[in-house]
Amino acid sequence: MATVQVSEAEKVYILHGIRDDLRVDGRGCEDYRHMEIETDVVSNTDGSAKVTLGHTAVLVGVKADIGKPRPMVPNEGYFEFFVDCSANATPEFEGRGGEELGTELSNTLYKVFNNKHSVDLKSLCISAGEHCWVLYVDVLLLQCDGNLYDAISVAIKAALFNTKIPRVHISADEEGGKEIELSDDPYDCMRLNVENVPCIVTLCKVGHRHVVDATLQEKACSVASLIISVTHKGTVTCTRKVGGGSLDPESIFEMTEAGKRVGKNLHAPLMKLLQQEESLGKTRQKVGFLG
Amino acid sequence: MLKSKTFVRKTRSGGVMKIVREHYLRDDIWCGSEVCAECKQESTVLQRDACIESNLCSYPHYVIPDTNVVLHQIDVLEDPVIRNVIILQTVLQEVRHRSAPVYKRLKDMIHEKEKFFYAFTNEHHRETFIEREPGESANDRNDRAIRVAAKWYSQHLKTSESDADGLKVVLLTNDQGNKQKAEESGLLVYKCEEYIKSLIGNPELVDRLALSNDDKHDITSSKVLFPEHLPLSKIQAGIKSGAFVQGTFRASRDNYLEATVFVQGDGDESTEILIQGLQNLNRAVYQDVVAVQLLPQNQWVAPSSVVLQDEGAAKDDEEEKEEEDEEKALRISAAEAARKPTGKVVGIIKRNWRPFCGMLNISQIKESTRHLFTPADRRIPRIRIETRQASTLAGQRIMVAIDGWPKHSRYPNGHFVRSLGNAGEKDTEQEVLLLEHDVPHQDFSQAVLSFLPKMPWTITPEDMARREDLRNLTVCSVDPPGCTDIDDALHCRELDNGNLEVGVHIADVSHFIRPGNAMDREAASRGTTVYLCGKRIDMVPELLSSNLCSLRSNVERLAFSCIWEMNHKAEILKTRFTKSVINSKASLTYAEAQMRIDDTTKNDDITKSLRGLNKLAKILKRQRIEKGALTLSSLEVRFHIDSETHDPIDLQTKELMETNSMVEEFMLLANISVAQKIYDEFPDCAMLRKHPAPPPSNYDILLKAAKSKDVEIHTDTAKALADSLDVARVDGFPYFNTLLRILATRCMMQAVYFCSGMDSDFHHYGLASPIYTHFTSPIRRYADIIVHRLLAVAIAADSTYPDLMDKQKQSALANNLNYRHKMSQYAQRASVAFHTQLFFKSRGILNEEGFVLFVRKNAIIVLIPKFGLEGTVFFDAKDKAGPKLVFDEEGPTLNVEQHTFRIFDKVKVTISLDASNIQHQKIRMSLIDPVIPGVSVPAPEVEPQTKKPKLDR
Repeated sequence: MATVQVSEAEKVYILHGIRDDLRVDGRGCEDYRHMEIETDVVSNTDGSAKVTLGHTAVLVGVKADIGKPRPMVPNEGYFEFFVDCSANATPEFEGRGGEELGTELSNTLYKVFNNKHSVDLKSLCISAGEHCWVLYVDVLLLQCDGNLYDAISVAIKAALFNTKIPRVHISADEEGGKEIELSDDPYDCMRLNVENVPCIVTLCKVGHRHVVDATLQEKACSVASLIISVTHKGTVTCTRKVGGGSLDPESIFEMTEAGKRVGKNLHAPLMKLLQQEESLGKTRQKVGFLG
Repeated sequence: MLKSKTFVRKTRSGGVMKIVREHYLRDDIWCGSEVCAECKQESTVLQRDACIESNLCSYPHYVIPDTNVVLHQIDVLEDPVIRNVIILQTVLQEVRHRSAPVYKRLKDMIHEKEKFFYAFTNEHHRETFIEREPGESANDRNDRAIRVAAKWYSQHLKTSESDADGLKVVLLTNDQGNKQKAEESGLLVYKCEEYIKSLIGNPELVDRLALSNDDKHDITSSKVLFPEHLPLSKIQAGIKSGAFVQGTFRASRDNYLEATVFVQGDGDESTEILIQGLQNLNRAVYQDVVAVQLLPQNQWVAPSSVVLQDEGAAKDDEEEKEEEDEEKALRISAAEAARKPTGKVVGIIKRNWRPFCGMLNISQIKESTRHLFTPADRRIPRIRIETRQASTLAGQRIMVAIDGWPKHSRYPNGHFVRSLGNAGEKDTEQEVLLLEHDVPHQDFSQAVLSFLPKMPWTITPEDMARREDLRNLTVCSVDPPGCTDIDDALHCRELDNGNLEVGVHIADVSHFIRPGNAMDREAASRGTTVYLCGKRIDMVPELLSSNLCSLRSNVERLAFSCIWEMNHKAEILKTRFTKSVINSKASLTYAEAQMRIDDTTKNDDITKSLRGLNKLAKILKRQRIEKGALTLSSLEVRFHIDSETHDPIDLQTKELMETNSMVEEFMLLANISVAQKIYDEFPDCAMLRKHPAPPPSNYDILLKAAKSKDVEIHTDTAKALADSLDVARVDGFPYFNTLLRILATRCMMQAVYFCSGMDSDFHHYGLASPIYTHFTSPIRRYADIIVHRLLAVAIAADSTYPDLMDKQKQSALANNLNYRHKMSQYAQRASVAFHTQLFFKSRGILNEEGFVLFVRKNAIIVLIPKFGLEGTVFFDAKDKAGPKLVFDEEGPTLNVEQHTFRIFDKVKVTISLDASNIQHQKIRMSLIDPVIPGVSVPAPEVEPQTKKPKLDR
C-alpha cells in the first residue's frame, strides 16, 4: 500500500487539527475532497467511468460477455472483479508489487457488489441454467492518494450506470436447440438499475475521532479504519475493518453512524450528476485523459 | 475529425465482442466532376458534358444508383451507353458484402476510363458522413447516407461557378420508401426501370433489366408449383442435427427430371443422393449448394436410364399433363438392389448462378415479349426472359443471367446480358465453349504483361555463373508438328566408362515467373493452357510460351535439367538435377525423328543420340508394363484445317509412332525422379499427382461386355487387368481389343494433383508408379511450375517463399488446377465435337460401319472407329409409336422388335448433321444394318466424293 513517511511533529499537527474538526487541507472530518466523474471514457467497453478524488484516480471498465450461470443460482448472472494496480500509480506496484493490494481490493468488491441486493442479478440471466451475462469489472488504479475504496466504489457505480448490454434474442428451433442472436442495432441495449448499488465509505480512526476520505498523511496517523458500504437509503450492507490497530465497540458504532450519514449524502448528488451527464447525450464534450 | 464506429459481434465460441473502429472524416475528398471549380482535384472523372438521350432527364446529369440497383442491374450498368455514374462508398461496401462477383465487375467498371464511373468516398467526407440513429436499421441508415450524399452533390454542383451547364444528379432507387423520402428532400429520383425505359436512344437496354420483385406476379400463374425453400437458419439447424445433408447439386445431362447431390463426407468418404422429379428437385440449379432431406427407404428409386429432354412448350399448363406422364415413366419399379438413397431438396444454401450461354426459343404467340431461353448446357433449366428484340436475337448465341425462381413458376426468370454472335459461326461457337467451360480466355492484362522480361532478352553473365553450361551437348526436341511451345528436349551420349548419360531438359519457366506477382497469379488461376482445334489459349503470355521459354533449336535457352547415368539395361545409376543453359541442335517432329532413326545411312550426333534414347525407351517401357502399367486407348482425332478458311477439310485419328512413346518414357522417368526428390525433401508440401485405383464396381460394364464375347477380364490389380487386356482377342474381330481398351479407359478414375501433406495414398494406378508428379511441361501446366520451384529449393538453386511451404494453400491450389484441367479437357472435347460437326456439314450424308459401345434402355451408343466418333441411335421417337423394346440389364442387351443388340455388335449407320436444333447441332445416326422394319432406314445415296480420303490404315 502506498504510504508516506510522516514525522512525529507533523503527526501531532494533523492529530490536533482533526481533534478540532479542521483538517490540514481545510476540510471538516466528514467532508470529501474534490471529486470528478466522467463516464463513457473507454469506447471499447460496454460501460466505463473515470473518477478522480483529490489526486487519487481510478478507471473502471465494464465488459459484458455471455457465460454459463453458476449451478447454485441458475437464473442469475454474476460479476467478476479484477483490480489492476498499475505501476503508474506508484512505483511500489512495479512487477508484482501491486498484486496483494489488488486481490484485497477485489475480494472486498465481490463482497460489496456481487449480490442480488445491489444489482438485480436476475436481469442478467438470458436463459436459465444455460446462458447469462457475466459482467467483468476491471478497475485500474491510475494514481494513489488515499481512500481507494471510496473512489473505486463511486467509479463502479458510475460505470454500471453507464453500462449498455447488447440486447439478445433467443430463437429456439423445433429440436429444442437454442440460438442466441444479437440485435444489429447498436442502440438496442439493456441498462442496469443501479439505484441500490452501494458506495463504500472509509472511516479512518485518527486519535479519538474519525475522518472520511483520508489523505495519505492522515492515513499514516491512523491505526485502523472501517470500511462501510451504504446504499442510498442508508442501509449498511457490509463492514470491514482494515489496518493493524484495534477499535473499541463504541467507536465502531459511532463510525458506522457517521458512515451511514456520509454515504446517504453521497448517493443523491452522484445519481443527479450521472443523469445530468447522460441527458447531454452526444452533445457532451468529452474530457478524456488529457483534458 | 475523428469518429468511431461501434458494433457488437458474436464470436465463434459464443461470446460477445464489442468492436470499435476509428473513423476519420476528411475535408479533402473531391467531387470528381469536370465542372467543379471548388474542389482542388488533380484529375476529374465525371464529364462536363454528361448527356444521354432520355425523355425524363433532358439536362446533363450524373447518375447515383443505390445498392440494390447496382446488385440487380449490373448488366445494364455495364453497357457502354451508361456513363457518368457516381458510385458511393456506401454502395460499394454493401455490394462487396453481398456479392463478390458483382463487386468485381463494379470495380472493373470504375477502373475503366471510358465509363466515367467515379467512386465517391462519402463515408469519409465530412459533410456526407452520418451516424446511425437510435431505432434506425442498418439499411435505413445506408439509404439515408445515399440520400445525404446525393443531396450534397446536387448542392455542390449548383454552387459551382459554372452553373450555366445546369448539371444535376439523378438518384436511382427501386425502393419505394427511399424514393419518397428522397423526393421530400427535393432530390431528382427515378426508379431504375423508369430511367432505363426513358433512354430513347437505346431501347435494347430494357431487355437487360433484371426482373424485380413487383413485376414478377404478372408473368406467372399464381399456382404454386414448388414447395417453399426453408430459411437458412432452419437449414443450418437441420444439418447440425443430421436431419438434412449439405451437398452440391448436379443435374443429369440426359434427364432433366433427375439429379444427384454430391455430399462430401468426413475424410475421403463421399456419397451421392439421387433426386428425382420436379417437385423434389425444387428449383435447384446445377452447381448450387443445397440441403437435402433423405426420403424413407421404401421411397428410394433407381436412377433411370431413360434419356429425357425437356421439350416443353412455353406455356406452363400445356406441359403439366405431359410431365406427369414423363415422371411416371421414370418410376418404373426398379430392382431392389439398384435403388439408391433418394432425397428431396428442402433448401438452397448457396446459389451458384452465372450467366449462361444459349439460344432463344421464340414464343409462338406473336408480339409476345416473353420467351424461353434454352441454355447450351443441358443441365441448366430453361430460363424465361423478357425481350423486345426477339427477332434479332433469334439464331444468335446469347448470354442470359438468372434473376430468381419463384415457387409458382415452372422456369426461372432471367434477363438478357449480351449477344455472342450468330450461332454456327466458328468464332461464336468457340466463345461459347470457352465461356461454358469457365476457361479464362481474356487477353493478358497490362499488369501481367508488365512482368515480362524486357526485349531483347539475353542470358546475363550472372545467370551463366549460377547455371551449368550444357550448350555443347547434342540436345534436340521432338514434338508434334506445328508445336511452338516446346517445353522439353532430350539428349543421350555415351560416357567414357561405357555407361550412358541421358538428360531431360525442361524449359525453366519458374525463372521468368516469380512467385506472387501478377503474372504468377494469373497463371495459377488459369492453371493450364487449353488447346482447341486451331486455337490455343495460353497460360502464360506468348512471349514466354512461344519464345523465351520455348526450347527452340539453335538458340540459347534456360533449362532445368534432369540428368541420369544409366547402364545399357536402362538401370539408373545416378540422378542429378541442375539449372542449366542449353542450345538445342534440332526441333524435330515425331515423324522426322522416326525417319532419322530408321534411316541407316544417317550417323550424325543427333541421330545417334535419338537411337540411344529409343533403345533405352523400349527397355523402360517393357519394364513399366511388366510392373503393371496400363496401355489404354481412346480415339483421338486430328483435323486437317484449311489454312485460309480455317474449316476442317479432313480428319484423321492420331497416329502413334515409336518416337511418341520414346519421348513419353523419358518424361515419365523424369517426373518420377523429380517426384521422389521433392517428396524426400518436402514430405509435407510436395505437389504430386495420383491416380486412384477405381472401385471394383466401375468395371462392371467392362466385365459384362467381355463376357458377352466369352473373354475373361481380371480386374484385381492393374497388372492383372493389363495382362488380361493383352490376351483378350476374338477371332475375326481385330478391333475387339481396341474396343475393350476404350471401355477400360471409361472405367478409370480421374488422375488428380494433391499436396503430399494432405493425403496418404500416392499411388498412380495407370502408370503403376508409387509416386508421380508433373515436371515436364511448365509452359502449359501450372503444377509443373510449382514442382520446378520445389525442386529448385531442394537443390538450393532458388529461394523459397511462405506459400510454397503452406500445405493448406498448396492443397487449395491443387484443387483449382484439378478443376481447370477437367474443364480444359471438356472444352477440348467440345471443340473437337464442333469441328466434327463442321466436317460432316461439308461432307453431307455418309454411311459408315461402327460398333455398339453401350446399350441403353431406349438407345444404343455407336462408335465409328474411322472418325473416332460416338453417336446415339434412338429407338423411340416422341411423335410416333416406338417399336417394342425389351431391355435386359444383365447383358446388357436391348431387344428391338426381333433383333437383339449387344455390346460390340457391328452395325451400319448413316451419319448426317442434324441442324434442326441449331443450339445443339448434333451428329444424327440412323441404323441401316441390321435391317429392322420400322426402325432402320434405307441406305441413302452417298454423295460422290471427288477424292476418297486415305484414312483407313
